[in-house]
Amino acid sequence: MSSDKLNLTLRVWRQSGPEDHGGFQTYKLSGVSTHMSFLEMLDVLNEKLIAEGEEPVAFDHDCREGICGMCSLMINGQAHGPDRGTTTCQLHMRRFTDGQTITIEPWRAVPFPVVRDLVVNRSAFDRVIQSGGYVSVNTGNAPDGNCIPVPSSTQETAMDAAACIGCGACVAACKNASAMLFVSAKVSQLATLPQGKAERSQRVVNMVAAMDREGFGSCTNTSECEAACPAEVSVSHIARLNREYSKAILFSDT
Amino acid sequence: MNALLRLLSIPALIMSRLPGLAPVIRALSTSVGQKLLMAVSGLSLVGFLVVHLAGNLQLFAGEDVFNAYAEKLHSLGPILGIAETGLFAMFALHIGLALSTASMNRLARRTAYDVRESKQGLSVLPSGGASSWMMVTGCVIFVFLTSHILDMKLKMGPGVDYTAALDAAGEATNSFAAVKAVLSHPPHAALYLAGLFALGIHLSHGISSALQTLGLNHRNWNWLFRTAGVVTAWTIAVGFMSVVFWALNQS
Ligand code: HEM
Ligand code: SF4
Ligand code: FES
Repeated sequence: MSSDKLNLTLRVWRQSGPEDHGGFQTYKLSGVSTHMSFLEMLDVLNEKLIAEGEEPVAFDHDCREGICGMCSLMINGQAHGPDRGTTTCQLHMRRFTDGQTITIEPWRAVPFPVVRDLVVNRSAFDRVIQSGGYVSVNTGNAPDGNCIPVPSSTQETAMDAAACIGCGACVAACKNASAMLFVSAKVSQLATLPQGKAERSQRVVNMVAAMDREGFGSCTNTSECEAACPAEVSVSHIARLNREYSKAILFSDT
Repeated sequence: MNALLRLLSIPALIMSRLPGLAPVIRALSTSVGQKLLMAVSGLSLVGFLVVHLAGNLQLFAGEDVFNAYAEKLHSLGPILGIAETGLFAMFALHIGLALSTASMNRLARRTAYDVRESKQGLSVLPSGGASSWMMVTGCVIFVFLTSHILDMKLKMGPGVDYTAALDAAGEATNSFAAVKAVLSHPPHAALYLAGLFALGIHLSHGISSALQTLGLNHRNWNWLFRTAGVVTAWTIAVGFMSVVFWALNQS
C-alpha cells in the first residue's frame, strides 16, 4: 500500500423527488481514508456538501453492520459494490484505488421507484411478504426443544434461505428486474420447516401472484442475483420455488 | 411496449373466458407458470430435434436408404399431420411466451443503468453469457426455420434448382435430391449454418435453464445438468451442420 488516502471522483445520481428527471452530479473528494466504509465516505461527502451550502446526498442505511438490508447502492454497475457476499455498509474504501471514478446509482426497477437521490421505495417487497410470508395457522405454544424433530440438513437449508435481508440487490442486479431470488428465499424458508408446511400451497401461489402484481420481471436463470446477493442466497431456492409452484397448481386442493 | 403487451395477452384473455379452463390459464399465466410452459415447450422442441437429426443422418447412408425413410414417414398420413400440428403448436407457444416474458422483463425496468458490470466474471459476453442472447438467437432460428419450411416442405426455396428432385409427374418427390439441391446453394448453406450456430448457443443455455425451471437442482448434480445441456446443444447443432458440409462437398 503506497498510501492510505484516496482522491476520488464521484458520479452520483441526484434526483430531488419521484417526479424529477434526475441526473448525474460529479464531485471531487480528496483524502478519503482507505479504512472508511463506503457509507462513511458518503458521510464525508455530505458534510462537505452541507458546509458548501448544498443539499446532502440522500441514501438509505440503518444498521451499518450488514444485517438490516437498508443500504442499497449500485456502485460502478454492481449491486453493493465489487465484493461478493457484502453489503454496501460493509464495503471498505480499500477496495478502490487512488484517482478512481466511482459511479453511484440507485436500484433501477419499476417496482422500486426512486424517492430521492439514491433512496428507493422497496415497499413492494413488504406487500409480497404480506401476501404469504408468514405462518398463520395456530401451531400452539412454543413446543419443548426436540419435540418437533427437524434434520440438521433441513435446518441448514431453511437457515440459508432465511439469511435473506430483503435488500433488493437481486432485483437490482437482474437483467429482468426479477424478484425471484427474494421470493424463493421466503418461500423456501417456510416450506422446508414443519410449521410452514401447512400453508405451503396457498403461500407459493399467493406470493407469486403478489410478485407479478408489483411488476417484477420473470426469471431467465442468468444467476446474476446469486452473485450479487450479500447473503449469498443460492438459486437452488428458485428451483424449489418452481417445484413448490408446480406441486401447488397440480396437486393441491386449495 | 404497453400496447404490445396488451396485444400479447389477448389469447390468454380469450382462453380465460372458456369454461373450465380459467383456473388452468390463471395458474400458467403467472411469471412462474409461463416459465414452466417455456421449459416444457422448449424441451419438447429439443426432443423433436433429436428425432429429426436421427432421420437426417440417414442421408449419409445414401439415396435409397434416405428416400425409403422419407417414404415411410409420408406414408404415416394423418399421424404425421397430427405430429406436425403439435410441433407447430409447440413453436407457437414457445415463441409467444418468449415475447410475453421478454416484454414483462422489459417493463420491469424503464430506466437503464449508466454503468453495468457482472459479478459472475463473464467478460466475453454481457452478463449471463448465452442467457443474454436467447432473444437474438431465437430470432435467427426463426428466420432459419421459415426458410427451412419453404425450402424442404414446400419446395419453394428462392434460387434453388429442384430439377434433380422431380419425378415423372413433375413433382419434387425425391427428398434426397431436394436436400442436396437446397444445401448446395451457397446462400442457403450459409443461412443454415448461421441458424444452427444460433441454435447451439440458444440450447447451451436453454436446456440447463429448462431443467432449473422445472425444479431440477441439486448441489451434487448441477455440474452434470449444465455439462449435459451444453454437450447436447452442440451435439445437435454440429450434427445438423455435418449434413450441410456433406451436401456442400457432394456438389
Ligand atoms: C428449434 C427451436 C428452439 C428450441 C429447441 C428452443 C429451446 C429452448 C429451451 C429448451 C429453452 C429453455 C426454457 C426455459 O427455461 O425458459 C428456451 C428458452 C427461450 N427461447 Fe427457445 N427454442 C427454440 C426456438 C426459439 C425461437 C424461435 C425463439 C424466439 C423467437 C426462442 C426464444 C426463447 C427465449 C426468449 C427463451 C427464454 C430464455 C431464458 O430462459 O433465458 N426460442 N428455448
Ligand atoms: S435474496 Fe439476497 S439480494 Fe435478494 S433481497 Fe434477499 S438478501 Fe438481498
Ligand atoms: S445498513 Fe444495514 S445492511 Fe447495510
